[in-house]
Amino acid sequence: MEKKLSEMNYEEEGRVVSIEQDLKNKLAGMGIRIGKNLKMITKHPLKGPIVVEVDGAHTSLALSIADKIVVEVKK
Amino acid sequence: MKKILLMGNPNVGKSVFFNRLTGANVIESNYPGTTVDYTKGYMKGDSKDFEIIDVPGTFSLEAKDKAEEVAVKMLEEKKGALVICVIDASKIERGLYLVLEIVERGYPVVVALNMWDVAEDKNMQIDIEKLKSILNIPVVPTIAISGKGFKEVVLSLKKAASVGVNEITERVDEIK
Repeated sequence: MEKKLSEMNYEEEGRVVSIEQDLKNKLAGMGIRIGKNLKMITKHPLKGPIVVEVDGAHTSLALSIADKIVVEVKK
Repeated sequence: MKKILLMGNPNVGKSVFFNRLTGANVIESNYPGTTVDYTKGYMKGDSKDFEIIDVPGTFSLEAKDKAEEVAVKMLEEKKGALVICVIDASKIERGLYLVLEIVERGYPVVVALNMWDVAEDKNMQIDIEKLKSILNIPVVPTIAISGKGFKEVVLSLKKAASVGVNEITERVDEIK
């Protein structure tokens, strides 16, 4: 099932299937590219940032950015 | 005096590196964004002296905040500078992304694979020789807080040269 990264639940894992074009380069520098596996670590309250795990490292992203990344969630 | 820029992702230990190389005492802390402006210092190399600049951390050369803007501007203003790109060995991919961006702009780069001990703790195996031969630039494992690898970093400064990104891509394609 595909959903936005911002909608993933804790501990949920998924593979990146699409990223909004103008964010692609910005996110590549943080290790997030199409095809990468991500795991949701933390979602901060009040529309705060999220933390995901990619390649064994944690990265935080603004919720507005996580809204523009689509992942295929693993069952 | 030859200038050296210390660049890398946020929170990889650039300031610890800077303090060790220059004997200065800039503030270090274990969270990203400690250095938002730059600090200058001086170091004696084996044959000549260098001016070292501690640049704020950046993920890429497309700045998205104030600290990153400072980083990109520093790089653009210091044409002819050498870059020591400090990367977190345990988060090697995003570090190498920045390395390639800097190489692409024509700067001679030395890569310091910092936090080597952390990568070892995570059971990560990094083939330094292979990485060196692909990039064709010096790659040195370091542990900034203990000083491991620093001598080699300083000695490899003279081996740093500009490399074409196309050649690197070709060598990567050969492996695939």
